[in-house]
Amino acid sequence: MFQYPFVQRMFLAGLLASIACGIIGTYVVVKRVVFVSGGIAHSTFGGIGFAYYLQYMGFIIIEPLFGALIFALIVAVIMGLPFIRTRMREDSTIGILWVVGMALGVLFLNQVDRSKILVQDPVSILFGNVLLIKMQDIYLMFGLLILIIFVTIFLYKDFHILTFDEEFARISGIKVDILYLILMILIALTTVVLIKVVGVVLVIAMLTIPAAISNLFTHNLKNMMFFAIIIGCIVTFYGSLMSLNFDLPPGSTIVLSLGVVFLLALIGKFLVQQVFSKTSSIT
Amino acid sequence: MKKKVAIELKNISAGYGNEIVIENINCNIYNGDFFGIIGPNGGGKSTLLKIILGLLNPFKGYIRIYGKPPKIGRKNIGYVPQYSEYDKHYPISVWDVVLMGRRSIRGFHPLYSSDDKKATVETLKKVSMLKYKKRHISELSGGQRQRVFIARALVSNPKILLLDEPTASIDKDLQINFYNLLKDLNKSVTIILVTHDIGVISSYVNRVACLNRFMFTHDDEKMISREMLEKTYSCPVDLIAHGVPHRVLDEHKKNKNKKKKGVK
Repeated sequence: MFQYPFVQRMFLAGLLASIACGIIGTYVVVKRVVFVSGGIAHSTFGGIGFAYYLQYMGFIIIEPLFGALIFALIVAVIMGLPFIRTRMREDSTIGILWVVGMALGVLFLNQVDRSKILVQDPVSILFGNVLLIKMQDIYLMFGLLILIIFVTIFLYKDFHILTFDEEFARISGIKVDILYLILMILIALTTVVLIKVVGVVLVIAMLTIPAAISNLFTHNLKNMMFFAIIIGCIVTFYGSLMSLNFDLPPGSTIVLSLGVVFLLALIGKFLVQQVFSKTSSIT
Repeated sequence: MKKKVAIELKNISAGYGNEIVIENINCNIYNGDFFGIIGPNGGGKSTLLKIILGLLNPFKGYIRIYGKPPKIGRKNIGYVPQYSEYDKHYPISVWDVVLMGRRSIRGFHPLYSSDDKKATVETLKKVSMLKYKKRHISELSGGQRQRVFIARALVSNPKILLLDEPTASIDKDLQINFYNLLKDLNKSVTIILVTHDIGVISSYVNRVACLNRFMFTHDDEKMISREMLEKTYSCPVDLIAHGVPHRVLDEHKKNKNKKKKGVK
């Protein structure tokens, strides 16, 4: 089965996505910006629609993933702007950008005449289809991942302080507003890496679940990233295999596998704690 | 001998939007002071803290920390926030929390240096928390956690230690212990303590200010006047301090046996 190029691409994409979501997903979970990332992710639907629309109109040919990148970056910057963070209610801002992005996507796709250009099925945009990944998508994902890793290593210390205690970060002389903006941009880049694998709607799952599972078992931020990458890889591969074997949509099998693993991990942790507290009360 | 001024607050009025929260604050805090700021909730304590830390600009007046504006002068301050303000589940060990405190004096640098690590070991020893360095912050008692955050503030060798409601998460029994630690630290650093707990503070501080929109300072050592408190809390109060068994503050002997701390 592994001799097919599309299967190789599928696993390669899963690997890149797992690394990106292990690193940035950890920040998303500890900084509690899951729904900010959700807003960024969903707005990319507008960007994908926009890219197809431009292709159809023949203005410029841009890749759908590139359209997603532009929209994700715009929304990330809006979410990170200091006056929006302080003046607006965060959840309202998220809600507005989320639905406006999706509505734009529907509108653009509606304008495109599908007999003229090849358009990906909206359902597979929303819920992902790793079987459709092209080599140039892999290149873009790889480039973004390198950028994410580089920036994270460089700013690791300051991100640690920012995500733990924002006020203390400010007092320590960290330019909190700029750093938060950079974090938002990293989330946007990660979202774009993930879209092809699990789709717009399910990006939140990839960002949140591996890091959340990892957080059940470690109290160290670096370890949390590391385990999240491992968990992400294994479960994504497993979900992809399920999808191939049973001919199911891969985005769904990956996300459901993640959900099941999270539940098992939670139960496992609870049981282990019960056993430990019993043995320690006996001794 | 004239003492060196650590923090100078001059004619400060401040607040948010159009609302003035504190008004006309004038006060000098001297090097070596153990300075207590007390006042009811909503009296402007946290606003004043934000001014001192340079997180908020005053409408009027100015503040100097060792002669410098707060955004530069705050390098001299080690700040211990209220416990409620951070996330207990955040994946971080005692060691990492304290190491963070080095950021303010080291500036931007991707890695911590061996000096940073040495200072962290020293400071953890100072607050007797070195043996817990690998623990996660949720695995500590309230008192231990408070020591860790004091260590984070001290690790940058500040001249001033600023504490916001430090005893809120500590058992009454352990508070004495905690204040003794502060008293010990006070030999080398100036301490500013912000709290609504009138009782405990008075036995340890050498100067007190009451803050409720306006600030009243009392420069005689260890004295809170009844008038000062009544102005601050706008109600009759009794002056009773914790201690063994009860230490009554230096004034108003006739109120000795009342325990009521009537804040209403």
